[in-house]
Amino acid sequence: MAKDYDYLVIGAGPAGMAAAIEASQVGLKVLVLDQATSAGGQIYRNLGRSLKQQAQVLGPDYVAGKPLLAKFMAANCDYIALAQVWHIEAHGQGYSVAAIVNGETKTFITSHLLLANGAMERPMAVAGWHKPGVMTAGAGQILLKSSGLLPKQVVLAGSGPLLLLLAQQYRAAGVTIIALLDTTPKINYWRALPWLLAGLSMPMQLLKGLWLTLAQRFTLPYMSGVSSIEIIGQEQVTGVRFKVANKEYELACNLVMLHQGIIAQTQMAQLLGCEQVWHEAKQCWLTKTKLDGQTSCPGVQVAGDAGTIGGAALAQLQGQLAGRTRALANSLHRPWRLSLVTFGIGLRIKQLLWARGLVDRLYQPASWLTKPTGNTIVCRCEQVSAQQITAVAAGVTGVNQLKAFTRAGMGPCQGRQCGLNLGYLVAHAQARPMAQVDPLTIRPPLSPVTLGQLERRK
Amino acid sequence: MTDSLFSSLVQDLPLCPISLDGVVYQVPAQLTVAAALLYLGQRTIGQHPVSGEARAPLCHMGVCFECMLTIDGVAKQRACMHQVAAHMQLQTTITGPS
Repeated sequence: MAKDYDYLVIGAGPAGMAAAIEASQVGLKVLVLDQATSAGGQIYRNLGRSLKQQAQVLGPDYVAGKPLLAKFMAANCDYIALAQVWHIEAHGQGYSVAAIVNGETKTFITSHLLLANGAMERPMAVAGWHKPGVMTAGAGQILLKSSGLLPKQVVLAGSGPLLLLLAQQYRAAGVTIIALLDTTPKINYWRALPWLLAGLSMPMQLLKGLWLTLAQRFTLPYMSGVSSIEIIGQEQVTGVRFKVANKEYELACNLVMLHQGIIAQTQMAQLLGCEQVWHEAKQCWLTKTKLDGQTSCPGVQVAGDAGTIGGAALAQLQGQLAGRTRALANSLHRPWRLSLVTFGIGLRIKQLLWARGLVDRLYQPASWLTKPTGNTIVCRCEQVSAQQITAVAAGVTGVNQLKAFTRAGMGPCQGRQCGLNLGYLVAHAQARPMAQVDPLTIRPPLSPVTLGQLERRK
Repeated sequence: MTDSLFSSLVQDLPLCPISLDGVVYQVPAQLTVAAALLYLGQRTIGQHPVSGEARAPLCHMGVCFECMLTIDGVAKQRACMHQVAAHMQLQTTITGPS
């Protein structure tokens, strides 16, 4: 069997870069495929080409990625930017990966695979979220990182560290934040309390988080305990309506950025048949892995936020361990010092995973956000509303049958924006735990491919 | 085209000509196509294939598929996944099943 690569890494974020550095150091033939213009992932997006003013606004955590990025760019591995992976399948003892590069399909064969394709934002299906003028907080940050764009005025709504960080960055850049509407339910503070010790194991991070929260709370028009958010406007957003303690409020605005945490992008792992597990604290599906990223499929590892939501530092460590494990698997003798370092990284990963428990519980989505109702669009691609789904949710075998009945999940995003909420609605209608409502089946292509791109096949 | 909801953090950047539905505009060269449309005040991209309503990108990272348009004759390209390039031809008016 012709084997192009020993290790094919999908995604050039902190996890993918760290893994590629490790594996290429021992002489393995490594390829990194990344969909972005430049390496860095979402966290360090455009870092290598960002301007001084962008770095100033984005802050020290953004610039912190520079050494890793430099090391990756100097690593002895192949790296293809703007590569859109649309299929992965078993090929002999290894895997074949199809990607669109420069307008044509290229196929790469590899013995081992690392999925480090990161996370996405948890879809926040509030009434009117499909209207032009609504985007996610992550989108707001991406516009700043990749294009240096800032909104003139914005309403930020939702919950989670990214929302607070964006508020801080926008404030630093002089953006008018009309309001920050915090949907974090009060019960989450009690849920998180037993995990305070875990948070205290990383005191600097905890202080930073606390400062970030308080700084926004006391410098911005800030409302907590917000629920029943409704985006209003005919063709475009003209305002947002919401409730605090049963009192209704309305704000005029043209731009709303929503956020309620991030979830793992499991599509590639699902396509390969890697076992998935529902994570109750993180409220999302994760690919089941061992500490070194090994999934239930032989030769397939997952690292970083594609595997478990834990942030950049954890992703980098997971990538490092995954890459090193791959490197050691090929060496005839295992130097004991290397094994000892590997053990050390593993311990640190466990600590970070534990500490993350605090954040997981503090920012769980509010229950009203997991039960969209009425005209709220749940599936944006096929414009299927919550009431259309709840009308049949009680009688379906699961979300895949729900998809057949309602078309929800059949559009070009392949359920990325609705899958989780379909699961919640079925679980709620049938009083079943989420762990028993299997996610939507993923099929190729992972993203649309034109016939022209298929024709120009290499 | 309406007033833009966004402005550029850095002024006096090198500009790049792009054509949007046949009209040529100058935009900063570091923008993604989706960002360029926002910069120009183009708040929507085409019509929704099901509802026919105007739609706009949600995620800017390739997972919502709501910024699809025709770039240099290739249909269904995600505007957020491409950087602008000199004389790039963008068409938002061609619609079809997606």
